[in-house]
Amino acid sequence: MRKIWVVIRREFMERVKSRWFMVATLLGPLFMAAMFVVPVILSTRGARERVIVVLDVSTAGFGERVTSALDGTEPIKAVRVAAGVERLENVADSLTSLVVAKELDGFLIVTDESVNDGKIEYRGTNVSSPRDMQFLSRDIEESALTERLTREGVNPEAVRRAKIDVHLKTVKLGGPKGSTQSGEGSFVLAYAMWLVLYMSIILYGASVMGSVVEEKTSRVIEVLISSLRPFQLLAGKVIGVGAVGVFQLTIWGASAAVLGGQQAAIMRAFNASPEVTASASLMPHISMLTAAIFLAYFLLGYFLYASMFAAVAAMSSSEAEARQAQTPIVMLLVVPTVMMIGILNDPNGSLAFWLGIIPFFSPIAMPVRWAAAPVAGSEVVLSLVVLIVTLVGIVWAASRIYRIGILMYGKRPTLPELWRWVRTN
Amino acid sequence: MTDSALELHEVTKRYAGHVAVHELSLEVPSGSIYGLLGPNGAGKTTTIRMIMGIVKPDTGTAIVLGVKDGGWALSHRIGYLPEERGLYKKMKVLDLLIFLAEAKGVDRRVAKTAAPEWLERLGLSAWGGHKVDQLSKGMQQKVQFIATVLHKPDLVILDEPFAGLDPVNSQVMKDTVLELSRQGATIVFSTHVMDQAERLCESVCIIARGEKVLDGRVADVKRDHHGRHVAVGVQEGLASIDKILADKSLVAKADNYGNFAEVEMAEGTPPQKLLTSLLSAGAQINRFEIVEPSLHKIFLDRVGSSAATAVAVEP
Repeated sequence: MRKIWVVIRREFMERVKSRWFMVATLLGPLFMAAMFVVPVILSTRGARERVIVVLDVSTAGFGERVTSALDGTEPIKAVRVAAGVERLENVADSLTSLVVAKELDGFLIVTDESVNDGKIEYRGTNVSSPRDMQFLSRDIEESALTERLTREGVNPEAVRRAKIDVHLKTVKLGGPKGSTQSGEGSFVLAYAMWLVLYMSIILYGASVMGSVVEEKTSRVIEVLISSLRPFQLLAGKVIGVGAVGVFQLTIWGASAAVLGGQQAAIMRAFNASPEVTASASLMPHISMLTAAIFLAYFLLGYFLYASMFAAVAAMSSSEAEARQAQTPIVMLLVVPTVMMIGILNDPNGSLAFWLGIIPFFSPIAMPVRWAAAPVAGSEVVLSLVVLIVTLVGIVWAASRIYRIGILMYGKRPTLPELWRWVRTN
Repeated sequence: MTDSALELHEVTKRYAGHVAVHELSLEVPSGSIYGLLGPNGAGKTTTIRMIMGIVKPDTGTAIVLGVKDGGWALSHRIGYLPEERGLYKKMKVLDLLIFLAEAKGVDRRVAKTAAPEWLERLGLSAWGGHKVDQLSKGMQQKVQFIATVLHKPDLVILDEPFAGLDPVNSQVMKDTVLELSRQGATIVFSTHVMDQAERLCESVCIIARGEKVLDGRVADVKRDHHGRHVAVGVQEGLASIDKILADKSLVAKADNYGNFAEVEMAEGTPPQKLLTSLLSAGAQINRFEIVEPSLHKIFLDRVGSSAATAVAVEP
């Protein structure tokens, strides 16, 4: 035990003292702060007035209606240019050159047909902005609706009065102690869980791999192995790197909590209007149970993958070889990532259920499920039991491969050879 | 505890497809300097790994410091300098030495005082705070040597300790090894350079292709092969001399250079008989000397030059 501790301390201290650790640890909170601030900056920048021309070749006044609807909207300034159908392409060409010269953001072509078939064309530089396009289509839809209702003989004033804006507020029900969470908050939490778990398991797992390969290629292993049992070395290394991970995540978690508490103040400091501040997705509430589940799956998942990474490193003779050999392991981690949308769309469906049970996927899939929707306690227990049993088996096999691999150089072993390594005493 | 620091009894180790060490037995007297000699690929490193308990022999037993199959339980009493040297390049020298001593079970505080003392002793005290990769190759070798002996081992195993050392550092290393020996440590070192072994060791074991060729005290080994090698110098070439040297009843082997020859006598034939034959053939002899063979020569005679140069990849 004392010797494992010696290895743990070296791995921990050497990593924590490194420049990489300092930079990454500081960048975390900066990144989180940026997540609050960047949307604010973008929204203030996005508030720049958009100048749009409504090229009106309609005859029944629909163009005027669209123009006034658009012009009334906050960031859009709309100007109507009337033209006959026969001059349409000529005017469109000169408007295009104005857009190219950046004097216009774009122009809308309104025809008589538009009211009947709902088809309308917009040409501009901001077509990839979902926000702008949302404004455009909402206003045009409104205008078309009003126009058509008027034609049916409905009083335009009545149409205006009947209109109402709907804001859907979503609340997640169920879960432990009937806690509630906004739907958006659930999504943010699930997404954050995936990001942090995926990144940290891959980063710290690969870090274990790098460390094993370094000892092998630099031949330090020859000295170490005369002092330490392979298992002491492996355990110390995996635990030491894991401790760095927990330490870093704790720093990030604490700064996230502080930043979350100060979110409104931070956003005000960047001149966000009160409405923007209120509508910004606030830090989701994280209960102790959620934090515990996150930590449990992080640790178990990390140990599972770090053992596999260590075994792969031990059977490789160089950094390049190890990077090549790690591909199957990384693929295992990618599976729950690819299926993320599936889990979020139906957190209690059979896909989500099985991803949460299969041990190589559950470390990422289960916390994501948990964050997205209420999950039965029995399912979590089942998932954890399967994961722990697998972990024990993998650690056993990995330490046996490690034990022999670290002293072998040259050709990478074939699968039958690996199996022999695992079996030999 | 026995008088032997180390005993191997017919140890055999096979790797997939080939036998690395075959029924090797040897005994290292306590407090001696012992040489494990053999060409590259002879099985030296595998033998050392079995002594260290890093690999288990397939058959046979290893008794180290009086303990059978001690393995890692003994590691704190053994110092090991591997043939393939390597250190953590990004660690500071002092931190690294303390870590390696702790890995051997030395108390952290003890290591913190012992490490600077050793750096001082080998002229590296200014480098304790530097990273390993800022040191020259020779200095790194010294650091590695300190790591081998920092925990005051009873048994020191050095695998090719002089490989890659310049003459000055080589001398420093030799002096330190002798000093350790005087303090009572048993030293086992492996080398393929037989001349070094001849000068340093009290006893040797020569192995080739995983098997023992001979072992014993250097003095005994030489005496056993003494009296069979003769250097002959003659005034001028005589055809009859060639005939005498080709006589298998007299001479086992001869390197004939015309007016100088290195001769190995046939088994049981005294050198005087050769001298008599040469004189009666009328040779003008200006040199006739019974020479003490070098270990290298003995080794070549025993295994033939093919085994001496056979280079297999050491597992």
